[in-house]
Amino acid sequence: MASAYNPIYTDVPEKDVFALHFLQTLSNLRTQNSFSSPDNKTSDRVKKIKKAAYVSMARAAGGANRLWSRSLLHQAAKRNNKNVRFLRRKRRVTWLMRRRSNRGDPIEDVAAERLRNLVPGGGGMETSKLMEETAHYIKCLSMQVKVMQCLVDGLSPK
Amino acid sequence: MLEGLVSPENLSLSSMDMSVLERLKWLRQQQQKQVVSQSSDNSPELLQILQFHESNNDELLQSTFSHFQMLGSGFGPNPNMGFGPSREAMDGCISRTSSLQMDPVDTMGVMLKNSEENRTISSKNKRKSEVKRREEEKTEKKIKVAAETESNMKGKSSMSNNTEASSDTSKETSKGASEIQKLDYIHVRSRRGQATDRHSLAERARREKISKKMKYLQDIVPGCKKVTGQAGMLDEIINYVQSLQTQVEFLSMKLAVLNSELELAVEDLYLHAYFTNLPVVNASKPSIMVDVPLFPLDQQGSLDLSVINLSQTTSIEAPSASWETQSRSLFNTSSLGFHY
Repeated sequence: MASAYNPIYTDVPEKDVFALHFLQTLSNLRTQNSFSSPDNKTSDRVKKIKKAAYVSMARAAGGANRLWSRSLLHQAAKRNNKNVRFLRRKRRVTWLMRRRSNRGDPIEDVAAERLRNLVPGGGGMETSKLMEETAHYIKCLSMQVKVMQCLVDGLSPK
Repeated sequence: MLEGLVSPENLSLSSMDMSVLERLKWLRQQQQKQVVSQSSDNSPELLQILQFHESNNDELLQSTFSHFQMLGSGFGPNPNMGFGPSREAMDGCISRTSSLQMDPVDTMGVMLKNSEENRTISSKNKRKSEVKRREEEKTEKKIKVAAETESNMKGKSSMSNNTEASSDTSKETSKGASEIQKLDYIHVRSRRGQATDRHSLAERARREKISKKMKYLQDIVPGCKKVTGQAGMLDEIINYVQSLQTQVEFLSMKLAVLNSELELAVEDLYLHAYFTNLPVVNASKPSIMVDVPLFPLDQQGSLDLSVINLSQTTSIEAPSASWETQSRSLFNTSSLGFHY
């Protein structure tokens, strides 16, 4: 049936995978000296942990197989290394935007724009592809939230 | 007598509300059925209609007979002719007969009303001009096509062979054939009274795809079923994504507060312990690789942790215990088959 197509395509791995990746990234973070030193402000640590969470989620969800994860990793790498790969994407975006402007459905487009801003890598996708990516992204996000919740619960003093 | 031409199953099938893929499957199922049964079943009904038209000219009679033959094959017990061509043929004959004389139109009208083809009557006038352009060749082609059901489905070659007409008819037949041939990938049903150019068809197909995906999203996002309409649903989805992201941020803040250096060191050691159990753990590789080695951990996880705990003399008891319980709870929940 029509619904049979989607669930197979947007499968998300189990919780263990997310947990493992997150812990791995956290441990990588810890090995960095700037992180473990107490003179660090909490906000910086928060940002780093958040970034680690997203990056690990992107890796756990399938690395470069998914559009949103790919763009997430690109963004993260760009902040570190200032890669110039961004240029190529921009050209693709403009072509797609031209295409999109031709067949705009006003009701859809407004909300789709907001969704594009939320989902990483949403700027370069058609609306139908955006929906698939959003579904997968939501699933992965919820998994990541559960993993982090478990971690926090486990580590919180009893 | 006239209603006999319309079978109840056809009514349900001819409804435009059928989803695209359902129709596709129905059509594929019907591919195998024979035409012979069709024609034989329809003959008594056709004879009845012919008697009704006794008063008309012979020429008109013949033309109406040919039209009704197509109609019968379209409406008969096997409505698998491919709704597209049969309906177009019917439309063609309706408008054609209307252009010739009034009587057959009335009967057609009665038939149509019974068969839920009200839209065809309304769009009859629109299609008149179109039909006048493509009279004989198209009907001839349709008769041939009616005789060979499968050619409709499989498509282009046979239909294009049958047309020997002006560029108009060839264009339209190729369009019809491409519509049918689109069964392979995108099946779009052109509705009566709506434009049938490629752009609007593609637009409709795109919108159907998007609505399908919206339905799937609706299942995922909790609390989305109450809100109807695409805009509301999209807003709900956006809110959900935003809430998830804020949750991640909040939890990361909590983690940052909770984690002291000691716990970090402990964590490192535990992580090393995990990695020794796993043959290969590569962060960049996709999840499938990691899934398999994690399986034995589900059973052995707690045991390994206890072993490590004993060996670590420097580790502090409290955080390690909490880590143990937390990771155990993690694995327990995951082994339970934690589903989103």
